[in-house]
Amino acid sequence: MIRFFITFLVLQAALFGAELTPWAQQFFVVPWTNTLAAISANLVTLADPNVIAIGKVLRSNTNGFAVSIEAGCNGVEATIVLLAAVLAFPAPWKNKLIGLAAGVVAVQGLNIVRVISLFYLGQWNYKVFEWAHLYVWQALIMLDVLVVWLVWVRTLPRARDDRDGGPPASGGVRPPAPAAAATA
Amino acid sequence: MGGPVARFVLRALAWLPVAFAVWYFAAPLLLWPAKLLIDVIARLWFADIIRGVEQTGAIVTFVTTLKPGQATAASGAVAIDVNALLYSFGLPLYAALVLAAREPHWPRNLAIGYAVILPFVAWGVLADFLKTVAIAAGPLVASQTGFSAWQREVIAFAYQFGSLILPTVVPAIVWVITHRRMFERLRSASP
Repeated sequence: MIRFFITFLVLQAALFGAELTPWAQQFFVVPWTNTLAAISANLVTLADPNVIAIGKVLRSNTNGFAVSIEAGCNGVEATIVLLAAVLAFPAPWKNKLIGLAAGVVAVQGLNIVRVISLFYLGQWNYKVFEWAHLYVWQALIMLDVLVVWLVWVRTLPRARDDRDGGPPASGGVRPPAPAAAATA
Repeated sequence: MGGPVARFVLRALAWLPVAFAVWYFAAPLLLWPAKLLIDVIARLWFADIIRGVEQTGAIVTFVTTLKPGQATAASGAVAIDVNALLYSFGLPLYAALVLAAREPHWPRNLAIGYAVILPFVAWGVLADFLKTVAIAAGPLVASQTGFSAWQREVIAFAYQFGSLILPTVVPAIVWVITHRRMFERLRSASP
């Protein structure tokens, strides 16, 4: 368990530090964020044709309201956390790659829901928008990351973890009783 | 998604509004220990620029020794307000996760999480203040802080890490650590 958390924290800090470099911002974060805005606009226009994406900004042509997708709302940090958690956990590389691919889709999918919901909440009530933006969606995205990781961990082959003495075993936790496992 | 995880998520989603409401209305009390910690850190390491730390509701106010402009006398001092809610929303997230887990000793787990998360709330609030005076407030104020270029880089990183990563990641880490038995059960059950 300790090894997992240390690896997770080191990976996370390194990836986050790398994300903040001008190079990563220019070649990854900005294009990623612009793509997120474009996807959001494309989805929204299915029901509301008066919405456009300009760079990282999602704008309504009806009332001029716009949201700019900034750091923390582009899902990059959530993806970094998931990436670090999956890479740090002892598992075959094939499982890690599958987990990362599915996990990124799940996290970014919910993040698009966040962007679109905030876009309309902002037009409806700014106080509700602020609450949802600053607190609620932050918690929901992290809950999503945690759930994706838990689901991924459940798909891993147990035999390998047991042989390797995976994180929980090294943390001194006894394996569950068979009855508990069957009913969980 | 497996059954146990799905049920856990639904319970967590049900607890989140309750936890957010308690956190919001009890914030002055819940965040008071974090303010005390910030006060201690301010006295120990930033006594030259922080004269006092005050709390009004969820707002932590740093009363500084810094002057707002070039005038050196009788021009007042800079006071910076930081909204501690921005760095403490991990508390309701953690509470919802603990209550959704339905594990024994949940009050103890809540207390452990609260104690572990609070220093990171202090980190976020303090880093926000330092970012404001050292970077965002402009050269007239920043020059009085005496921070070097590399120290401002550290402050910028601490602020970004303290606002974008720590508020949500710390509760998740503490939850996994305090719920290893449940984690094991989830792993053991068939997907």
